[in-house]
Amino acid sequence: MTVFKLDPEVYKRYKDEVLKLCNSFQKIDQPGLSDKQIAERLGLDERTVTEIRCVAERDCYSLDEWEKAIEFKRRATLEWSALALKRPDLKPE
Amino acid sequence: MTTEERLKAVGLKAGARVVGIAPVEAFREKVPEGYRPEDILPGARSVVVAGGDGPTAGAWRCPDHRVMEITGYDLRENVAVHAMCDFIEGTLSHHAIQAPSLPVHGHEPPMSMMHAAELAGLGTRSLAAHIILNPEYGLLYYAALITTLPLEPDQPLAEPACPHPGCAAMYKRIGTTPCLRVCPACLNGTVQDGRIQQSTYDREKCHSRAQTYGIGSFQKGLLQIVNEDDPERRRTMIYSDFFTKSIQSLGFFRDSIAQCFECMRVCPVGRKYRKLQ
Amino acid sequence: MALKGGATVCGIADVAAFDAHAPEKHRPGDLLPGARSVVVVGGAQPREGDWAATSPWVMQTMGTTDRIQGVGRRLAQYIESEFGYYALYVPPGTASGDTPFLSLMLAAELAGLGSKSLAGPVLNRDHGFMYWSAVITTAPFEPDGVEATPACPAPACRQMWEREHTTPCLTTCPSSSGGCLSGKLENGRAIRTFYDAARCNTRVHTHWVGGFQKVLEEALNEPDRDKRKMLLYGDFFTRSLWAITYSSTNIAQCFECMRVCPAAHGLKEMK
Repeated sequence: MTVFKLDPEVYKRYKDEVLKLCNSFQKIDQPGLSDKQIAERLGLDERTVTEIRCVAERDCYSLDEWEKAIEFKRRATLEWSALALKRPDLKPE
Repeated sequence: MTTEERLKAVGLKAGARVVGIAPVEAFREKVPEGYRPEDILPGARSVVVAGGDGPTAGAWRCPDHRVMEITGYDLRENVAVHAMCDFIEGTLSHHAIQAPSLPVHGHEPPMSMMHAAELAGLGTRSLAAHIILNPEYGLLYYAALITTLPLEPDQPLAEPACPHPGCAAMYKRIGTTPCLRVCPACLNGTVQDGRIQQSTYDREKCHSRAQTYGIGSFQKGLLQIVNEDDPERRRTMIYSDFFTKSIQSLGFFRDSIAQCFECMRVCPVGRKYRKLQ
Repeated sequence: MALKGGATVCGIADVAAFDAHAPEKHRPGDLLPGARSVVVVGGAQPREGDWAATSPWVMQTMGTTDRIQGVGRRLAQYIESEFGYYALYVPPGTASGDTPFLSLMLAAELAGLGSKSLAGPVLNRDHGFMYWSAVITTAPFEPDGVEATPACPAPACRQMWEREHTTPCLTTCPSSSGGCLSGKLENGRAIRTFYDAARCNTRVHTHWVGGFQKVLEEALNEPDRDKRKMLLYGDFFTRSLWAITYSSTNIAQCFECMRVCPAAHGLKEMK
């Protein structure tokens, strides 16, 4: 017996659905379903749904999105600083 | 002093900015089974929520976003929760536990601190990532305790903190608000008659911003590294700035667990507390 | 000062007492030359509510070891600033592998704060299971004596042994069935104990460095890239990373032997 390893085919088949039903893409005042609730809806066992969700949360966006995040924060902080602190020299290029 | 006042005084003295109380029954409406306070502590009657300050006013003014990436969090609301737990067990002889709030399966914690804060009357959901905004202080961080002690609960706020009147006016003028404008990647929403009409939040995209360097980036980087066949390229990836920062952030994750503040930076709620000399 | 700072108990051990029990390189004088005393504080133990909680995540993610370490640190600073003697706060981590710099459990015993139980942890007679921190110092403090009467086995356990030749902790985690513990009582005392530290490690540190290393090894050995992703993004690895980052509150993840122990929960009655 080894650590639980999700079947990649099961993952590919259900990942979008699980992401849609959980709390990944939120609408205000509409909580997502728990893993148990998702499992009941999709006819899977809860452990499998948990595993699909964990992998899908991480897999949702590529590492490119992280690079974009770094640049986004750099620019947004500088733009705000330039405006709020009255320091036009800080405005990003 | 009532028991509730004594308890809140303990929490405030220990560093909380605000303290509120919710009855466990209130969690049943929106929280699925398995994630409610009574699922965690048998005989639970009350949830006491402490809200602690976010970054200092000075930190908000730093033009280098890396500063708040590293020091945006100081966990004092957790200290307040421990102090209140000790008081409840030591003085009032009722069971009290810190509510488990760390993620245990992917992004999911055993109990939502945000929802607890809403039910305890400490804030309301906002357009900005559905962050709970306290109407007076704006962004606060929340921790909670669960106890068998019956307490007179506070009520959820009748008036939402978001949208701020300035944001409602802005939306009327130009169809957006400061937070929606600064981060359209993660946020979307509409305002009507001074209230949030609808709001969506892409948590997975936000994760790449709010926890740029952390568990997620470490896993992503590691997968790329193990899949790289060329040893020279692999070496540059392992020693890269990005992967190094990711590993470093694991060591100090408690302090750097919040790494993006852009939607809150432009939020007017509580901003008066950021204007100092 | 220690008690005011948050410790539940405080005791002092004579460094000479360690020689008979601690291996070389892991004695107080090896860490602080000229050491005379070891001040030990215990506290930050799980609350009554923590033991009563039915969610496994409460104790597995919200342990309280961190708070007692802060007391130890402050104590070291206090000894130096108030008394003018050298003081070394013993790091709670490991020197290498799983070996600590100094056994905090041994220090607690020698400081008269508790005694070893059948299940392993040192139990204090009044407060039961708790976490420890220690400060080695050149200050010649008057040592406390070791406990005369151990907390373990508790009266209920002695009676259970007479009836069933086992105790709550041995029944919960028996080495004969893949657990960590075995032992024998005679005349109300433990005369033999067995503790499988490696197996206990998989339970008390399920999601931590060891689990991380295991999954990493498996991922590196996995030829299929999709399966590698399943491992590295999966629940177990993600949870292990969380536990590593929040080590100070996640470090203890199994309490089952202590949960069933009548001597582990202190003496306070709750409503």
